[in-house]
Amino acid sequence: MKLRLCLCLVTISVVLAGAAPLRPARRPHYGGTLRIEIGATVRSLDPTVEAANPEEADAKSEMDALLYDQRSEDGTFAGIAGSGPFRVSSWEAGKRATFAANQDYREGRPFVDSIEIQLGRPAHDRVVDLELSKADFAPIPAEQARQAADRGVRISISQPNELLALVFVGSRLGKESTRIGEAIARCIDRAAIVNFILQKEGEPAGGLLPQWSSGTAFLFPTEMDAHTAKEIWSQISPSPKLVLGYDLADTLEQSVAERIVVNAREAGISLVSRAMPATGKASSAQAAGPTRGNAIHVDARLVRLRMPSPLPRLALTAFINRLEPIAGIADSPVPESGSPEDVYYCERSIMNSGLVVPVVWMPQVYGLSARVRDWKQPAAGESWPLADVWLDSADPH
Amino acid sequence: MRLLPRLFLRRAFIFSLLLALAADSSKGQAVAQFPPDWTNALGSLADKIAAVTKRGEGLSLEAKNISSLSAVDVDGLGQLLVTDLSRRNRRAVTESSADAALQVTFSESAEGYVWIAQILGGDKENVVMVSVAAPNQKANTKEAPLTLHRKLIWKQDTKILDFGILGEGTAGGSSMLILLDTDKLSFFSYENKGWKLARAVDLQHGRAAQRGMRGRLDLQAGKAELPGVECAGDFQHPETVTCANTATLADPETPLQLVTIQGHSVEDYAVLAGTCGGDSLTLAGGTGDWTAADFIQAYDGRNLSAASQPIQVPGPVLELRRNDDGKSARVISRDLKTGVYEASIVSVSCDD
Repeated sequence: MKLRLCLCLVTISVVLAGAAPLRPARRPHYGGTLRIEIGATVRSLDPTVEAANPEEADAKSEMDALLYDQRSEDGTFAGIAGSGPFRVSSWEAGKRATFAANQDYREGRPFVDSIEIQLGRPAHDRVVDLELSKADFAPIPAEQARQAADRGVRISISQPNELLALVFVGSRLGKESTRIGEAIARCIDRAAIVNFILQKEGEPAGGLLPQWSSGTAFLFPTEMDAHTAKEIWSQISPSPKLVLGYDLADTLEQSVAERIVVNAREAGISLVSRAMPATGKASSAQAAGPTRGNAIHVDARLVRLRMPSPLPRLALTAFINRLEPIAGIADSPVPESGSPEDVYYCERSIMNSGLVVPVVWMPQVYGLSARVRDWKQPAAGESWPLADVWLDSADPH
Repeated sequence: MRLLPRLFLRRAFIFSLLLALAADSSKGQAVAQFPPDWTNALGSLADKIAAVTKRGEGLSLEAKNISSLSAVDVDGLGQLLVTDLSRRNRRAVTESSADAALQVTFSESAEGYVWIAQILGGDKENVVMVSVAAPNQKANTKEAPLTLHRKLIWKQDTKILDFGILGEGTAGGSSMLILLDTDKLSFFSYENKGWKLARAVDLQHGRAAQRGMRGRLDLQAGKAELPGVECAGDFQHPETVTCANTATLADPETPLQLVTIQGHSVEDYAVLAGTCGGDSLTLAGGTGDWTAADFIQAYDGRNLSAASQPIQVPGPVLELRRNDDGKSARVISRDLKTGVYEASIVSVSCDD
């Protein structure tokens, strides 16, 4: 009897509230097309075709994750195309791709019927399309996250998992590499880079792993100490004239490089920045050569390192493998175990070499339209979980 | 709008343990009870500190918490470390008379807690550390006139669609936990303070997997339904239960009408019969989608105003259904940190 009374009360409150729900649906449902825009261009979906640059490799990996159910041990996708949650329904190399939901997918068909991906969209256009609800999902550069949010774009931000580091090339600096690295590390105003260039979307980096991953990042100082930098530099004789390279196509790298040059000059360090052709980032082997491409000489270069796993040992091992051909840190052993102590001492030995100067940690930022539901930021190394995403039909767009 | 808050919005504080050290005579007092792996880890940390310091050496100790540990826990751990160090003949002294400075940081990594000691003597610094598994987040309740309690019944890696307990509290009768997940209908009998599997009925039968599948148990009628399959029998006697494929692929759940609670339309709720001398109570979750931590709160049946403090759930509430007793609700949630699905009973107690 009491139950009936209470159901009546519930019904009354429903009538009073009106029929239209005041908030979006909570339960997932099927249907719709998810419209994605990305900056990179992908020339081929064939996993055996090597990407021309890291941006293409990342985008290709996300698209492969839609098509393939299995990953190999090295992280690449394998097996039969179409065994994943989606199948290719149309493909224009470098321009556009459409994927249809795989009805027979092992974990159940995805919620959306299809995904349309526009390739090669500049960051500004992606933000505008999100703003106008012409796109549902797009990666946004970390430095543009705040501005996009101010313009009403719904933003999803990961933990900082991409390191921007200054890496000295090869063994050009000889015995003085440790002191030169220390002088540079101390002269950089990381807080200013985070606050002004990254618009507060990031963290100063003192080590090769972020605090949330290793728990020991606080042991690596990030504060600027121009006085000590000047002192260390004055002890180096003869003091070298250094060239810092950055990716010609990467505006963030350019801004950071220019800022580091200013900081270095304030500490009396002779450092100039120089753009490198974008293809210089294509592979570690290419990057290792200081005089590759258009014979551009650099002593150090900015490198982006994205964590392939949230686990400190795996991330550090991958970073060492990536840095080894650039900086020649082959003597630095990978951590023997996953214990925080082993990881810390391995990280410490690389930092002590002076060959790698961490600058900032950056998050992955995504813009989402209002109708996207159940988007969950992937952990470091995970692909976009687009099979779990559904579109709220209650949304007018 | 940010979907994920920054991880490191954690309170950090520094405290001095010197007073606690001075009161070393109080070591007989009960220090907070910690899990054995915590005390073992702290012992290991003391061993490592002892290995890089000299016997009888005076250490000035400062502790810092940059983890999700509570201030109370850190305080207790700090005291325990002091005791452990004194057992290893390391003295705690004031900074001015210290041979070395010992800074202990309670930190946290992606894998658990990391407790780090930095020992600074002269121009030399030693760093030692230990790691400790972090326990799952505990539900937090605050006192209120009416209090909700969440009792975890079962947890597993695969998705739970529905569950129920038969025979609970009946004199002489044994309890039976019935669990419906996407692949099977399982029956567990309560033996030796634990649930023991009595029977599992496979529900696959070549069915295609379905994302976002829902299912429902009707304990009284002895029925289990999910898209494409129906099971029936006497659930107290699992051997009588049989399952058959059906043509019905639709969601068996009958949607409730939306209710409006504090300006939000809510589609998942459970209406409990009059409790605590009042009218009915409506239990409902939060307003986030299934990527956010959630809570359950009771609302007064008449005007749907808040009637209890919310109880936190470490992940989204996927199902919230009234139990047959009308006084409690069964809740299925997913712990976002571990990915594990949890089946819990939420009940109400009156504090007057």
